[in-house]
Amino acid sequence: MRNRVREQRTQRGLSQAELAATLGVSRQTVISIESGRYLPSLPLAFAIARFFDLTVDKMFDPDDEEAGA
Amino acid sequence: MMAFIPPRLRKPAGIAVAGVLFGAAWLVRGGPLWWISIPALLAAPARAIFLYWGGGQDSDAGALAASQPDERQQLLSLRSRALACNLAVIAAFIGLTAAIAVKAAWWWPFLVIFGIAGLGYLFGLLNYGVTEADTPDDVDTGHQTRSSVNYRPSQNHG
Repeated sequence: MRNRVREQRTQRGLSQAELAATLGVSRQTVISIESGRYLPSLPLAFAIARFFDLTVDKMFDPDDEEAGA
Repeated sequence: MMAFIPPRLRKPAGIAVAGVLFGAAWLVRGGPLWWISIPALLAAPARAIFLYWGGGQDSDAGALAASQPDERQQLLSLRSRALACNLAVIAAFIGLTAAIAVKAAWWWPFLVIFGIAGLGYLFGLLNYGVTEADTPDDVDTGHQTRSSVNYRPSQNHG
């Protein structure tokens, strides 16, 4: 599942650690999500989408099987 | 009780207590092997200090050592413990069957481990809701509605 976390984060000039602190998760988890190795829970997916002012389906695309951003 | 202990101290404290108990057991046992209590008692605080130090590291292992994992790290821990439990059950089963085959007197500890693991699994199923009533909302047709999303759980376990 492709996601736009890295794209959105870099557009806003945030580091992975800053995004992690905002979301209340570890930096390693942000890295795993960005690389597509970890699919976040629904609450975390909503938190990410809301943080970037996007909907969950805009943030995470289940139709695109390509892992990573 | 654990809530009164700061998260970063929980695992080190647990390790220290377990180490002291283990060392004390060798001391109480006495005999020619009483000296094992000395390295056991020395290793307990050393291990606790190492864990406390590890809890300050910016890593998955550090978050687990500090008892402050996020959801992915909790999943990692859960899966690791499940794997460890599976291996323990397999080892107990092998030990039990081997002990029975050779008519050894030490078969029962394997049976205890095997039994506890089995009961623990059943308790887990009960505790985590496998018996909860789950009435389907499509009782008219009797068919479950399937999502069009092709979700593959294996992608979550990288």
